[in-house]
Amino acid sequence: MEDVKISYTESLISWKRPDLRVGVPVTVKYPLVPTEKPPEYRGKPHIDPNVCIGCGACVRACPADALTAEWDLENGLKSIVSNPARCIRCGRCEEACPTGAMKLTLEFELATPNKEDLVEVVEHHLTKCKKCGDYTEFTERQVEKAFQILPKEIVDANALGEKMQLCRECRMEESVKILAAQGRIIGDPLLLPPQHAKGGEK
Amino acid sequence: MMKTMSISVLGIIVGVVLVAILPPFLDGIARKVKARIQYRVGPPILQTYYDLQKLFGLPSLRPTENKWFRVAPYLALASAFSAAFLLPYGKWVPVKFSGDIVVFFYVLAMVSVAIIIGAFSTQNAHSNIGGHREMMMVLSVEPILGVALGIFAFKAGTLSLSAIPLKVPASFSTVLAYLLLIYAAYAESGFVPFDIAEAETEIAGGVLVEYSGRLLGVLEYAILAKRLVLLWLLSTFLTIPILRGIALTGVVGGIVVLAVQLILVLVAYPLIAALEATNARYRIDQAVALNTRIFLLSLVVLAVAAVGW
Amino acid sequence: MVTKECLAEFEDKFKGEIREKKFLTPTQILYLVDKKDLPDMAYYLQYHPEFDESYYVMGIGSDERQLAGKFAYAPVINMLDGSGKRENFYVILKARLDKDNPEFPSVAQKLPAALWAEREVRDLLGFKPLDHPDLRRLITPEDWPEGVYPLRKDHAYNASPAGELQDGYKKAPEDTSTVPIGPYHMALDEPAHFRLFVKGEEIVDVDYRGFYSHRGIEKIGEGRLTYNQIFYIAERICGICGFQHSSAYAMAVENIAGVEIPARAQYIRTILLEIERIHSHLLWAGVACHLVGFDTGFMYAWRIREEPVMWLAERLTGNRKTYGMNIVGGVRRDFLDYRKTEILDKMKQLKKDVEKLYNIAVSSDILIKRAKDVGVLPYKVAKDYGVVGPTARASGRNIDVRRDHKVFAYKDVDFDVPVYKDGDVLARLLVRLDEVLQSISIIEQAVDQMPEGDIFTPIGKLPPYQEALGYTEAHRGEVIHYVLTGTNNKVYRWKVRAPTYNNLAAVPEMLKGYRVADAPLIIASIDPCYACTERVQIVDVKTGKVKALNEAEFNDLSIKASEEL
Repeated sequence: MEDVKISYTESLISWKRPDLRVGVPVTVKYPLVPTEKPPEYRGKPHIDPNVCIGCGACVRACPADALTAEWDLENGLKSIVSNPARCIRCGRCEEACPTGAMKLTLEFELATPNKEDLVEVVEHHLTKCKKCGDYTEFTERQVEKAFQILPKEIVDANALGEKMQLCRECRMEESVKILAAQGRIIGDPLLLPPQHAKGGEK
Repeated sequence: MMKTMSISVLGIIVGVVLVAILPPFLDGIARKVKARIQYRVGPPILQTYYDLQKLFGLPSLRPTENKWFRVAPYLALASAFSAAFLLPYGKWVPVKFSGDIVVFFYVLAMVSVAIIIGAFSTQNAHSNIGGHREMMMVLSVEPILGVALGIFAFKAGTLSLSAIPLKVPASFSTVLAYLLLIYAAYAESGFVPFDIAEAETEIAGGVLVEYSGRLLGVLEYAILAKRLVLLWLLSTFLTIPILRGIALTGVVGGIVVLAVQLILVLVAYPLIAALEATNARYRIDQAVALNTRIFLLSLVVLAVAAVGW
Repeated sequence: MVTKECLAEFEDKFKGEIREKKFLTPTQILYLVDKKDLPDMAYYLQYHPEFDESYYVMGIGSDERQLAGKFAYAPVINMLDGSGKRENFYVILKARLDKDNPEFPSVAQKLPAALWAEREVRDLLGFKPLDHPDLRRLITPEDWPEGVYPLRKDHAYNASPAGELQDGYKKAPEDTSTVPIGPYHMALDEPAHFRLFVKGEEIVDVDYRGFYSHRGIEKIGEGRLTYNQIFYIAERICGICGFQHSSAYAMAVENIAGVEIPARAQYIRTILLEIERIHSHLLWAGVACHLVGFDTGFMYAWRIREEPVMWLAERLTGNRKTYGMNIVGGVRRDFLDYRKTEILDKMKQLKKDVEKLYNIAVSSDILIKRAKDVGVLPYKVAKDYGVVGPTARASGRNIDVRRDHKVFAYKDVDFDVPVYKDGDVLARLLVRLDEVLQSISIIEQAVDQMPEGDIFTPIGKLPPYQEALGYTEAHRGEVIHYVLTGTNNKVYRWKVRAPTYNNLAAVPEMLKGYRVADAPLIIASIDPCYACTERVQIVDVKTGKVKALNEAEFNDLSIKASEEL
């Protein structure tokens, strides 16, 4: 065989030949043996339905639209839908979640004949408006949580205890009435609030 | 030339059984050895049987109407078997006649020729490039094999392949001829670094690229069989001259020789696998240049033999 | 600053054309210039006698009609002083183009490095580079309709109109036959189509068509994501250098916001960038071995890439790839304490393994025979084309963003930048293997010196309509991101230039004069993004007939054949 002389590799070539010792195999029969999952691993996200308040912070944070909120204003339901088939495992939802309901699990073996099998849905009941009886855009747990975390002074000062029981329309009407009473809005207060579209909001 | 043609039924049976069963097994060993060198577990030893079984069970897609495309794999396999029938198995030689060394040489080349025909019967450029490369390899390696066999025939004074190892004398030129034979058999078999015609990563399997299913199975089988034939030739030429005393002394002697031949093949194959695993592929021009140099060397050896050393 | 003198000279020379000068950051200078002398300015800066390693980085085209009522075209020059005496900086030459007739004198007529950038702005924004030597389509597919420009703001991000099929190939030179490699080929990481015009075995000329997997990521980033969501798509621009892209993007946005990220975050980014580099180089070394049929080297490289490197990445970030660690202002997760010793242990193990790989790879005579003196890219051509990364360093270019621009924690660690003069495939292999050892040393130093403290500086709203560059030295070369912010925390223009963009344009130069059998290795040697099966067709020059079967014919035949059987 021809001797190859290469200036900058001469020193390297003079190194010893690779040893041909039969090595210990590193391949494993993967699905048959369990793999190690480090605690940092980011797997399929899971929503704890007992802790979720349905605020939708995760939905806003999700860059891949794997999390969506579905509204059913007729029946007073708001669902947080998690679709791991779209998920990119970035973990933004986990960071955004105010209650720690959203967690990335260590699970990653998600092969399934039907992607729908992976979908998780957490349904929440919406509160009813005290005034008109329509459903508001807040879930019951959201309101509960809000009262839990807000200091009492703030709740009292803004009359939130009253306002949070109302739907957006009625709330606006109330505000307009108050403002009109204070003389800050001129004109017929009942004409002012825009009609908000019901249902189908997504 | 075919004045004294002899046929041994037992030899045919042994030959068929060995050539039919052994090649995939040897390939299985090679794959396992390579895997272990590469720190892998590797497939089961019988994997190549499973592969072939699967291929034989699948229909072949035909990319061309050219009938040579279909004929070529069978032609290659038939050629490999024909070559196998001219080799001695222990004391038994399936087919033997004066001048069969020439037939052996041609039949062996026919395996490659059939592959080349198959490769050129399609319009796939990969296949054509593979065919070109195979042709270059055949044209540059076969002369070396020819000269090596020629030296043996000349020294042994016979043109019968199976008789050569019984008669070949130990001399300087035969030792060199052995080296030439080893090189030629290795290169002709298409082991790395000479797997240029198939070059998976360059031309996607080259000569094999258009084949699928049963035809691919037959073709791969033919290639494996050809490797066994070349290795068996080598093992015969190494074994019988040493065991010349007992080779023809009856059934027991014959079986002993056969066993030694077999063991030699089984030992050589893992060594080849190790060599394959630690080498990169040549570019065709580099391989041809190397072959040409070796061929010129072989002519020198031939001259040495002619002088009488 | 020493650079001031050089700039004064430049400003003096083109006094009449410079309208405005703005420091985006202390080392990023934006000149608002007249388009008339753009080629001269770019040429002057690239071949600046004192900043001898300068090169044309990219050309940013943007639709600023909503902002300024005009289009904008902005070549970016990386001003590098090879001797290391002066501070290096980026110059952006922004020229406003007419809204109805966006013409400009082509920079590419003087600088081959701008060839692609100007074809790109023509395709995506409808600019008209005057006197451009080769104005065929680059990015838009052959059946994209004329007069539809996807990056203009009036084009919806999900609109994909159909048009007539055109022929976008270069004419073959006289007396040559054509051997195309691709669109799918084992040596290509992504679908790409090289058409080699050959005389016998020798390659005379090369045509490239690519961008088959153009995903319109910039448009998505501009259309519907907020600045914090872009990270995740930036990370997915490339499966190999994801963290490089996300870090470069983060740097651009942080430059706009004007924040310095905490030191600990800088160190974490540095360590991860280096881990990514090691994995990429090992992957490449393995593929190079595989391409020449040396499978033991391939298995070895990939094994050590898996066990210490990817193993470590998974434990530090939560995933083997797509680390998801970056956020504007720092990183999202800290390293767990007990991982620190683990990193050091693994690096020690890796060093031993890499040295062994070095032995295996370099002691394979045939591998060296295949790589030596093949695909030589001379220094001058490398500079003309603005080639970056290991490909450039193998051709004697002494450039490395990590060292030259002192990004992240690289300013605090010691490392060498390996440079080889030979410019062949072997040099590119050796540069990469040397860099792996350097990266191991960088990681060890960074882990030792890593300060305690915060990993994140909160950033509120971004100022609207501000621009800046972010850059890192990826495994294949300089990754550079340009961000122009919009309102509501969205991004108005996000321009990404991956290193392969510059390197690939120079591949035809590397291929010329070599053999067809070397082509896969040469193409692979710049480490482009790879994939797939090969489809070579041979064009008979005399009859112009293509010998390879087209897909429909092939299917027909196959179906017929299967029916028969």
